[in-house]
Amino acid sequence: MNLSDSEIARLEADRPPAAGLGIAIDRLVKRFGERQVLHGLDLDIGAGEFVAIVGRSGCGKSTLLRLLAGLDEISGGGIALDGAPPQASRDDARIMFQDARLLPWRTVIQNVALGLRGDRAEVRERAERALAQVGLADRADEWPARLSGGQRQRVALARALIHRPRLLLLDEPLGALDALTRIEMQRLIENIWRQHGFTAVLVTHDVSEAVALADRILLIEEGRITLDEPVALPRPREHGQPAFAALERRVLKRLMSVDAINTRNRLPGRIVDIAVGCPLSEVRIETAAGIVTAVVSTRGLHEQPLELGAEVLALFKSNEVVLASEGEAAR
Amino acid sequence: MARERTLPRRLFSALAPWLVPIAVLAAWQLSASVGWLSSRILPEPLAVARAAVTLAASGELWEHVSVSAWRALSGFAIGGGLGLALGLLTGSFRKVEIALDTSLQMIRNIPPLALIPLVILWFGIDETAKLFLISFGVFFAVYINTFHGIRSVDPALIEMGKSYGLSGWSLYREVILPGALASILVGVRYALGFMWVILIVAETISAQAGIGYMTMNAREFLQTDVVLLGILLYALLGKLADILARALERYWLQWNSAYAA
Repeated sequence: MNLSDSEIARLEADRPPAAGLGIAIDRLVKRFGERQVLHGLDLDIGAGEFVAIVGRSGCGKSTLLRLLAGLDEISGGGIALDGAPPQASRDDARIMFQDARLLPWRTVIQNVALGLRGDRAEVRERAERALAQVGLADRADEWPARLSGGQRQRVALARALIHRPRLLLLDEPLGALDALTRIEMQRLIENIWRQHGFTAVLVTHDVSEAVALADRILLIEEGRITLDEPVALPRPREHGQPAFAALERRVLKRLMSVDAINTRNRLPGRIVDIAVGCPLSEVRIETAAGIVTAVVSTRGLHEQPLELGAEVLALFKSNEVVLASEGEAAR
Repeated sequence: MARERTLPRRLFSALAPWLVPIAVLAAWQLSASVGWLSSRILPEPLAVARAAVTLAASGELWEHVSVSAWRALSGFAIGGGLGLALGLLTGSFRKVEIALDTSLQMIRNIPPLALIPLVILWFGIDETAKLFLISFGVFFAVYINTFHGIRSVDPALIEMGKSYGLSGWSLYREVILPGALASILVGVRYALGFMWVILIVAETISAQAGIGYMTMNAREFLQTDVVLLGILLYALLGKLADILARALERYWLQWNSAYAA
């Protein structure tokens, strides 16, 4: 499971050129009934690239992955995997789910060999090799119920790899694992990716996982890509490195501010009055919708001084909005 | 328990469940031989054993048992087979469900024994009537559980199977059937139990052979020992069928820790 650097170098030399699948997504739209999840998403992923997609729950990242896997129908726009629609490239793409989804009534090795056709002995040998790759050769004939969560995900990985996919889609496959097992699995996935050269798309909640694995980190908000950050750190990456931590912090900060930057909640305006008080001060802002008063701490005002007439953005948080009729508002 | 279990202790725990039945048998035997119990009401256990030996020696016992077992099993095969086939169809195809399920659910509410007068009118009192009653009674237990089993297969596993290139029969064999098997076997066990109940009633209507015929005949001649033997035979056969069903569960569902031996 742990490959030395020289072995990796040798494997990389062996790697067949263009083993990965190139992805071109053009104004992709997905609707579930009335609800639109993806709003004209554009994205290109190069062959062999490792892309991580982060975003809040419900932002559409898993939907995008399912569309890439050909599991759902697209509502508009297009996806091309090396020029072909996802349904046509089904044999080239494999998906790993958050839960391993092993068949409990098949042994580990039967699960790995699922969907393989051909000579029995040959299939068994291939499955054994795939299991050895994820370090579980000795558990081949056990029931999945006997394995730990991390081992089940490794079996699921072997099951995906046995088909020699050109595109591996990972839908938060490590989300349910403990921290240590997760880092182990990240190493394993990275090694196997370098060895096979497939294109990998990882959906994750965990920014540090994205930084550890990806060539590129994408942030999806409200069904659009709002951040496309290349990760130029050398591999294998250590979680403690300063550059690693700095990038992780940057992406995390961007992710946390998603709510505030929502375009529907902002009002551009100009500061017309600052009333300094203690401990709170009031800043009055003239916007297209009228005068808005923001209450800020006086301490915060000292740290980030504002000037009269400065152009600012007034942002709303939905939990502080009170609706009133016009008569009440006048009072 | 960490304490080492000694031989006498092990012996005791193996025998303990049998203490009560043995005591009851002994008390029964004693009260019969002392004369508290009339042999017309309840013959002594030894008399039942003697009746069993006599009937077995003459070959009569085997004839009756095999006729009954054959009736039960053929009825079970017909009813259970139809129930399985229709359950698989309605569970797998929405259109078949729309066409058939409501009608089947309506018929399900008829107690099979309520059909006896009609069945006698249709088929007379020979074998066909008995087979029909058993098949009818067994059918719904298997049908309902098969239908339910197919419907409750984890959709996430079906989706996974499809994304790994399974479809049609291979998806059925790898994912849907094994997923439904636990529920189907529950239906089979329930049906096996019900099979004997209906068999008993069907055999007491009228028969020329079988355990029911044997006991009804013995009643005419006040042979309470043979009547009791018949009842014990039903219990024994029922238990055998249950053991068989359990063995099937243990073999087919060994992946499931709830059924593992």
